[in-house]
Amino acid sequence: MLDTCPSMFSVVALAVMAIFQAVALLSKGRIETPPSFRSLWVFFLAITLAEWVSFSLALWLLALLSFCALREYLSLVDIRLEDRWGILVSYLSIPFMFYLIHIEWYGFFIIAIPVYAFLLVPFFVALGGRSKGIVFSVGVLDFGLFFFVFCVGHIGYLLFYSARITLLMIIAVTISGWIHKVLGNRSLGVKLPLQLASVFPLCISLASWAAIPIGHSAALAILIPVSVCLGRFTLKELEQDLGIRADRLQPGRGRTIEGLKSYLYTAPIVFHYLRWFLKWGDL
Amino acid sequence: MDLLRIALHLLLIRPMLRLLFGVNVVGRENLDGLNRFILAANHNSHLDIFLLYSALPPGKIARTHPVAARDYFSNPPWLFKTVQFLMQPVWIDREESGIAAIKEIQRRLDDGRSIIIFPEGTRGAAGELQEFRGGIGLVAGHNPDVPVVPVYIEGPERAFPKSAPFPLPLWNHITIGPPQLLHGNSREISSRLHDNLEALAEEERAYRQRRMPEPHKPFVVTVIGIDGSGKSTLSRHLAGCFEGDSCFIGDNLELFKDGAPCDAQPLVANEVRKWVGRQAKSAKNLAHYKIPKLAELLLLRDRLLSDVHRWYRPGQVFMDGSPLLNMIAWAILYHEEAFNEKVCATAMDILTGKHACGKRDPTFKQFPELLTLRKLNLTHLHLPDAVIFLDVDPAICMERITSRGETVQAHENIEKLTKLRKAYQLVCDVLQKTLPVYRLTGDETVEQITDEAAAFLKSIGSATDETD
Repeated sequence: MLDTCPSMFSVVALAVMAIFQAVALLSKGRIETPPSFRSLWVFFLAITLAEWVSFSLALWLLALLSFCALREYLSLVDIRLEDRWGILVSYLSIPFMFYLIHIEWYGFFIIAIPVYAFLLVPFFVALGGRSKGIVFSVGVLDFGLFFFVFCVGHIGYLLFYSARITLLMIIAVTISGWIHKVLGNRSLGVKLPLQLASVFPLCISLASWAAIPIGHSAALAILIPVSVCLGRFTLKELEQDLGIRADRLQPGRGRTIEGLKSYLYTAPIVFHYLRWFLKWGDL
Repeated sequence: MDLLRIALHLLLIRPMLRLLFGVNVVGRENLDGLNRFILAANHNSHLDIFLLYSALPPGKIARTHPVAARDYFSNPPWLFKTVQFLMQPVWIDREESGIAAIKEIQRRLDDGRSIIIFPEGTRGAAGELQEFRGGIGLVAGHNPDVPVVPVYIEGPERAFPKSAPFPLPLWNHITIGPPQLLHGNSREISSRLHDNLEALAEEERAYRQRRMPEPHKPFVVTVIGIDGSGKSTLSRHLAGCFEGDSCFIGDNLELFKDGAPCDAQPLVANEVRKWVGRQAKSAKNLAHYKIPKLAELLLLRDRLLSDVHRWYRPGQVFMDGSPLLNMIAWAILYHEEAFNEKVCATAMDILTGKHACGKRDPTFKQFPELLTLRKLNLTHLHLPDAVIFLDVDPAICMERITSRGETVQAHENIEKLTKLRKAYQLVCDVLQKTLPVYRLTGDETVEQITDEAAAFLKSIGSATDETD
């Protein structure tokens, strides 16, 4: 079964999550679903859709996730009234970005945010006409675009190349992120070996199924936990400044960002590693 | 009809708001079990009313009506009809008195329906709670048995502010406070509701991320006048009679904390300035006086002011003379014939770095020094926040100067001081158009003058606080 299609697995995962969600609903707040559940729903649903229904539908689902994350981020930062045009352009870059994945134009996809959006957004912020605080505004918008559009977009492009690898990455990152979270304040010397120990067997055993050479699979098994640690550490500090606290997550107050935390660093790293070494597309 | 209305709200407006803006309702349970209520919310945006409807329980949607101004929604007609159908508001004509509307509200409340009121009356400044109008107090006072529910909406002031041409997808948080029965007269009810909403607002504001705080900016007061008019004495006294940290910049630098003098860390700029000042004072004639005095005014005093901001962070700074104003007055002394109000204003603009005029401006022909200063990039002087002018007769000043027992400076004679006094008067005339200027005559004792000046400063201080 596992050999025929990855979406079977994600359907199973969806079913498990649905049961868990139902239990959480019935318990009336005594059991709470972890914040990463929402993004996991989107990922598994996207994998299923990509395999069985259509890839573009899966892509627009990811675009919705990206929109939600960016919206939440922009609601949390201190923006000025004059930045409205800049924010509008930031939002418009999401459909643009995912359209580029849709038409498989890698060359433009990879520079759309770091070149064109980063040139256009400051221009539109400057159109607002107040110079006081403009540096902060441009920085705030560029950062949000990079993480919540560009990095999430990489998951979409990975899904375009291989649903199996995407599934492998999602599972590995989820496990690794979960271990990182559960161990809490322990030192990295405890966390990282445990993450490696859990991700390594998974990657090695699924290597042939996901069509990754065994050597690269081993490299991924090291890359994923390391990048998860990096990402979670960085995003934790950012969340603190944004006022997101794990104990008082609310819709619109960090639930989406908290859930996406582990994937933001890992997705581009895994994608570009595989693209380079497996020679996907023309380099 | 009611069913269609509820369906539209639940199936169209609510999902659209959720998807596009994101709606988070806190305290939904506070509306449970209430038969009818008066909902009082803050008002910042056109979105507010739709957001409030999406926080209501489904059973209450058709039986709750907002109070809305007719002129907002009368254009275009389809908007009026839509709002009329969706919410059946109590319309208020802002030109007429509100009696009819109050009667209508009372009728609906008696009918067992609920009312949504924005007590601020109109959309206020973003994120701030305005003074409440009288309506809410009247309505709640007439119906002491109807619970009033305070609701704070946070988010629409960013998602769709008053001045914005288009809405942006940003989250909105609706906090529903506990319902309460209010008694008393309308003013008491208003103020209690205001406090309740303010408390909810405080809670919401605590979530906000803030970027770098605004740089510290003290209130700079300058005392100007001719030599011997007692301006340094007055500014030192003033520094001593204000709360918080005050700083006096005169021949020497003094710090006051809540009126008591305290030790100050020496600043290099101040030591250099003192030395240059001594050079200027010992000058034999006006030509020799010019260069050190200019250097002191242009380079050192301004530098000192920014150093004081940086190291002492005082609340108020009292300066014995201002670099800018002194220079202008002295320019009059050197080029008396060409000076008038217009030239004075232009010179001030040039020296504060506003590029108000081109290189060929006649002002530069009259004052080649200004062009030199501009070429040297020395036109960065600051205007003070308030000016006090000591208008003292030169004869009295000369008396004081000679009684001091110090060496008399090159310009300190009756003729020059009279000219200088006129110059300062001209400067004050120009300044009065933009800055608070207070003129004092030196007839009274030091204490009286200080009290008068302090009262003046306090009055403008409170005035600026209100406008901010």
